[in-house]
Amino acid sequence: MRRNNDRIQRNEERKESLIDSLRFPKDICMGAMKVTLTGNREAWIENYRGLLEYTESHILLQGRTCQVCFEGARLSIDYYTNEDMKISGCISCVRYL
Amino acid sequence: MRIERGKPEGDCGIGKEQAMIRFLKYMKGYLRVRVWGFSPERFMNLCSNKGILLWDIVREGDVYYMNITLKGFWEIRPIAKKTGTRVAILERYGLPFFLPRLLKRKMFVLGLVLAVVFWTVSSFFIWDINLNGNYQITDDVLQDFLKGNQVRIGMRRDDLDIQELEKQIRRQFPQITWASVRLDGTKLLIDIKENDAPIATREHAVDEKHSMGGAQDATGTDLVAEYNGRVVSIIVRSGVPKVAIGDTVEKGTVMVEGKVPVYNEDATVREYSYVDADADIVLEHASEFTASLPFDHTEKRYTGREKSSHYIKLGDRSWALPENRPFLVYDSVIKESRPLMLERLSVPAFWGTVTYREYQNVEYKYTAEEAKVHLNQKLMDFLAELEEKGVQIIEKDVKIETGNDVWVLKGQFLVQEPVGASVRTERIEVEKTEENE
Repeated sequence: MRRNNDRIQRNEERKESLIDSLRFPKDICMGAMKVTLTGNREAWIENYRGLLEYTESHILLQGRTCQVCFEGARLSIDYYTNEDMKISGCISCVRYL
Repeated sequence: MRIERGKPEGDCGIGKEQAMIRFLKYMKGYLRVRVWGFSPERFMNLCSNKGILLWDIVREGDVYYMNITLKGFWEIRPIAKKTGTRVAILERYGLPFFLPRLLKRKMFVLGLVLAVVFWTVSSFFIWDINLNGNYQITDDVLQDFLKGNQVRIGMRRDDLDIQELEKQIRRQFPQITWASVRLDGTKLLIDIKENDAPIATREHAVDEKHSMGGAQDATGTDLVAEYNGRVVSIIVRSGVPKVAIGDTVEKGTVMVEGKVPVYNEDATVREYSYVDADADIVLEHASEFTASLPFDHTEKRYTGREKSSHYIKLGDRSWALPENRPFLVYDSVIKESRPLMLERLSVPAFWGTVTYREYQNVEYKYTAEEAKVHLNQKLMDFLAELEEKGVQIIEKDVKIETGNDVWVLKGQFLVQEPVGASVRTERIEVEKTEENE
């Protein structure tokens, strides 16, 4: 099991170095989420799968490989489309789960 | 490497983009809705997967408020059913909602349509004619000419052949050397350039027409004295001077010849080259002026009684209140004006006032003093006219006499006047030239 995990890890690393050397955009090729924070007021997120939870104090997003949780106060979603979304409010914490 | 897609707000260029997006949203229409129920998050995820735009999502307690496009709203029903959420419309925004309400006001729509039709139809016609650059030819003459050519205010734009009109103008008025006609909206602009060169060229043109093909090159004019007199100064720019300072000349004498001889080596004339003689010649000559003023004359004496009537003019037609002879003897003053707004819009509408002023004809006899004043005025006018022509007065002798029922002013002057009338040069063919050529 552990060996298996190691192999997956090694595969990932190899993939990453390949993408790096070819200078491909990582967010697309690796399915990573792209988060742009402007101060603590705005967050602009790309490349996510969906919204899991939304309350005024926290927003949980599902990505391809992980989940991201924005915590704060008075959080609201400015817009929400298939490609990107914008969160505004007072963000106090961004956590990767 | 990063791929730049739409950047988050805050960039300078975004402002315009945002406004454009807002405008598009307004044009397509959108709704503010309230969403509540089992799993609104899933509802939102499904919406975004289907490409339905959601924005301004706010959560208050268990209820979500969000904006959704009108088009998206029609596709929402299965999603709501699947996720067990309920959707309620709170408010409607945008043109699709506003337009039907607007169309309900029938008179308003009718007015709008009529206004558009009116402006469209009236743009097919010419509503103003502007003449520019005419000094010798008066506006009236040109307007009559235009009328004769079926160019009127209110004519169809299609009926106007601009190039033909330009040609016609140049043909009709030989003194117009350049004419440009153009349409600026519903305004017809006619620009004209008149010939301000000396009259000689015009004579020339006439001459040329008379003797078609007489001479190959049209140049060659002499300057001829217009009076009997003495030459005071002569400055020749082109041509051969035939008189010198101090010479007495008679009317018609050639003073500067436009025929310049070209000599051979043996001092015989090889050929003549013809030029337009050009010179400043001042001639001293005697000049006379007489003016007369009959003893009696009739004078208008206004009684002070006035009547005015008003009229409205549209294009060539005018409407006035019927007015039969207001006074027995009267003259009238017409004042016409056009409201500024109509002038800007080139609408040929005017209003005017005709003022009739009654007067009486009174027989009147001039006294010696009055006669003197009047005659002196006439003399001053004459002198001013001379001055305008550049005439200098050397000696002046003026008398006022009484004749048969008239006052007569007689003036004798010695003046220095610039002279020189252009006349075509007589051509002499030197036979040798032809051999040479």
